[in-house]
Amino acid sequence: MRRLRALWMRLRGLVAGGPAAGEFDAELESHVAMHTEDGVRAGLSPEEARRQALIQLGGAEQTRQAYQDRRTLPWVESLLRDTRYAVRGFRRNPMFTITAIATLALGIGATTAVFSVVDRILFRSLPYAHDDRLVSVGLVQPLEKQEFTLGGFFFEWRDNQKPFSSMTFERGVNACNLTEANPVHLDCAQVAQTFLPTLGISPELGRNFIPEEDLPNGPRVALISDGLWLSRFNRDPNVLNKTIDLDDRPVRIVGVLPKDFEMPRLQPSDIVLPAQMDVAAQHTVNSGIGFPLWAFARLKPGVSIAEAKAEMEPLYRHTQQWIPAEFRKEFLLEVRSVRDRQMQDAYTAAWLLLGGVFAFLLISCANVASLFSARGAARERELAVRSALGASRGKLIRQTLTEALVLSVAGAAAGCALAEILLRVFIAIAPTDVPFLAAARLDPRMVLFTVLVSLFCAGLCGIMPALERPRASALVARSTNPGAHARLRRVLVVAQFAISLVLLSGGSLLARSFWNLEKANLGMQTRGVLTVHVPLSGARYTTTDAYMNFYLRAEAALRRLPGVTGVGMSDSLPPDANSWHSGTRYAEIFVAGKPRPPAGTGGTVVIRAVTPGYFHALQIPIVEGRGFTEEERRMSDHPIILSRMLAARLFPVEDPIGQHIQKATFDPYFSLNGPVYTVVGVAADVKNAGLADQDDPEYYTLRRDNAEDWNPHAAILIETALPVSVVAPWVRTQIAQIDATAPAEIDTLAQTVNRLADRPRFETALLGFFAFCGLSMAVIGLYGVIAFVAAQRTQEIGVRMALGATRVDILRLIAGEGVRLIVLGGILGLGAALAAVQLLKSVLFHVGTHDPATFIAVTLLLFVVALAATLIPARAAMKTDPMQALRSE
Amino acid sequence: MGEKTDVWQGTLTLMVLKTLEAMGTMHGYGLARRIEQTSGDLLQVNYGTLYPALLKLEQEGYIRSRWGVSENNRRAKFYELTKAGQRRVRKAAAEWEQTTEILARFLAPVQEG
Repeated sequence: MRRLRALWMRLRGLVAGGPAAGEFDAELESHVAMHTEDGVRAGLSPEEARRQALIQLGGAEQTRQAYQDRRTLPWVESLLRDTRYAVRGFRRNPMFTITAIATLALGIGATTAVFSVVDRILFRSLPYAHDDRLVSVGLVQPLEKQEFTLGGFFFEWRDNQKPFSSMTFERGVNACNLTEANPVHLDCAQVAQTFLPTLGISPELGRNFIPEEDLPNGPRVALISDGLWLSRFNRDPNVLNKTIDLDDRPVRIVGVLPKDFEMPRLQPSDIVLPAQMDVAAQHTVNSGIGFPLWAFARLKPGVSIAEAKAEMEPLYRHTQQWIPAEFRKEFLLEVRSVRDRQMQDAYTAAWLLLGGVFAFLLISCANVASLFSARGAARERELAVRSALGASRGKLIRQTLTEALVLSVAGAAAGCALAEILLRVFIAIAPTDVPFLAAARLDPRMVLFTVLVSLFCAGLCGIMPALERPRASALVARSTNPGAHARLRRVLVVAQFAISLVLLSGGSLLARSFWNLEKANLGMQTRGVLTVHVPLSGARYTTTDAYMNFYLRAEAALRRLPGVTGVGMSDSLPPDANSWHSGTRYAEIFVAGKPRPPAGTGGTVVIRAVTPGYFHALQIPIVEGRGFTEEERRMSDHPIILSRMLAARLFPVEDPIGQHIQKATFDPYFSLNGPVYTVVGVAADVKNAGLADQDDPEYYTLRRDNAEDWNPHAAILIETALPVSVVAPWVRTQIAQIDATAPAEIDTLAQTVNRLADRPRFETALLGFFAFCGLSMAVIGLYGVIAFVAAQRTQEIGVRMALGATRVDILRLIAGEGVRLIVLGGILGLGAALAAVQLLKSVLFHVGTHDPATFIAVTLLLFVVALAATLIPARAAMKTDPMQALRSE
Repeated sequence: MGEKTDVWQGTLTLMVLKTLEAMGTMHGYGLARRIEQTSGDLLQVNYGTLYPALLKLEQEGYIRSRWGVSENNRRAKFYELTKAGQRRVRKAAAEWEQTTEILARFLAPVQEG
């Protein structure tokens, strides 16, 4: 208590409360006076008495100091004094202060914003108990690189595995409809009874499924998401045991999922249903390999992912017998963490960002250090004077550190504001498939991170100049010697240029790659084409007949619209590789009268079921033979159109037109009891495997007016010169007249394609931003060094000119210094850049990582900009008046 | 004059409190002289060290101060004990007595027996 009181009094003393400092002088004076009086009374002369009094006091100044130290808190006081001193210095030098704070704010702001983004991707903990122990287990093969498994394998694995404490699965998420008052379109996930316990999720309300509910034809029960609980039931706790109509069948709610629930593959889900899988049937259904499912497992304590994979390998080999012999070798077992499975190639973008921003932070730190060093050089004499007056080395270092700290705190505050803005920009321009980005916020940990970064900057920037001991010679030298400072700053400038070059080359390569992507020939027209998707409810449309009727009526209605010049339909649309489309393996295509192709898959072949209007709407030219005709839609023939790539591969010499083709079926394996297709034409190639990837061969089948050619997947293409805002309401009206419950999703094809380029656009924009800011900072740094060197050498320049040096000589002298730094930085940077861009290999499109044009352009740009930064101060030095230069100082 | 002993910090506080208890109100110079006299001139008090000690006691609330006029008509700052200071001096004196008593037993010549 007493200590606290004393501390409080001392704090008050700090802000000039409590006993005033002047008061003590009066007390001391009265003390000495009384002591002197006593001395005189004892027979001493007044002078001698006063001397004795002061001696016995132990020195007036020492006493005053001891009293002052006790009156306030000395360390706080000295910190305040240093801070005041620093702020005074900054106010005298606003250019320095603004540059330093802006540099720090940019560095810290960008770092914090990027860290906020990548933290969610790289370091976020998943909403599962002990998420680091969760793995995804399955098979990969060339056509499906995301591991999945099949009912025929899974149950054998589950019952015989050793490395996992439990294994579970989900059967994917399907569209479903809440068919009661206010029907809504929902996503329903089907999961095993063990799903929630294995992931370590407990329902917010109610319970998980019980095993009896997960048996085939078991009771129909469901868990609902927190979002649905809120939107549909207003968080009513009596929602349990309520019955809802899901696709026209009653389902009883048994629980509510926690707020942060998400499926391990991140599919949206509103309702979770028991999979009710018939385990025994898995060796008979789907050609005897069972239904596809996605398996997840929890590692036993102490088992690593690699060990688990090794232990699963024999089990996998045992189940390999179920895979058709032709493809057995191409299936591989995959076990990886759920996090890896979720993030996929978002990792690349995240590391790219982190790398870019780290390089940027290095540049800004170097810039601030360089600024401080320049300031240190200019203040060398001041430091030397203070040192001579008794300031200890520690005190000088503390003073410098305080200055750095004050700047960093200001920079961090500005940086936080900047980070908030940048983060909003990131979210606005980010592609939708970067998970969790939209939810990224500047949270307290980010702010802490900012402060740490800023302290790091302060330490780095503050210590370096302070370590350069002020020399006694600085006191006497007529002009200060820039030696050590300049050397440090030259090193920093070279480093800045090297890092800038790395950033610039990375940014330019990405920009070129993005340019190529934008300019890539899609092989089809996207302007003036609208796409219409109609998600039809599986409950209302139970047969392929129903789908066919809906789409044929829609096609006829849309054709009648004014301004519509063509309507085509397809089961899928290029160039998206991930949209639903059926595909096959090259090895499964048989040409009548030709030997079987060699074993192996031979790669993917895209199959698209289209109407005759498809080629017209997308303006895909038929290069040989003819397209499909309207009459053929009502005939029983099986015409087929090959892409040029597939035609060239199947028929390298023969004429493809009129050839007969069959696709292998799997019941039994590789039997040919499907339809025989007749090749009627060859179409030009279309980009069909994503924007950036190699095109796949493709063939088109005709979607006839026959229910066997239809399924729920269909996209309508409308060719029109009218703007989408005009046509869209008409389309909606037409669709609503056929089925009032069917929502139509209308988009331009150009938009759809553009969305595919979101990710490269995002990466390019960000790296470009960092490259630009980095270069600006490096240029500012270089300008600073050269201007400083020129100023330091003013006198020397004067002497040289007086001795007959021409202005060009002076220009050469000063600019030469800059050029040396640029060249050195350029060479180092080129080396580093050539190594660093290897990391970009996987995201570049039609650009080599060592693209000479890019590197030459970047180096030239850097050189020109840097030269300009050198020439400005050099020209100023050239114009020095020798008389004035000699007279100065 | 024999060798004089330096006053160490903790005991100085106690001496100040005890002196104020005995003498009532006193100014700094008077306190210094009084402590020196009481010690029989065995203690060399560096008068300067007295003032931070007084300030500390005041900050802790054991003593209070006010300006007044000395016996020689000189303005001086006078110190006196507060209630807390009186309690403190009793407690500290008791503790000190106990400590010295214990030490005395150790230092006393060993009894034969």
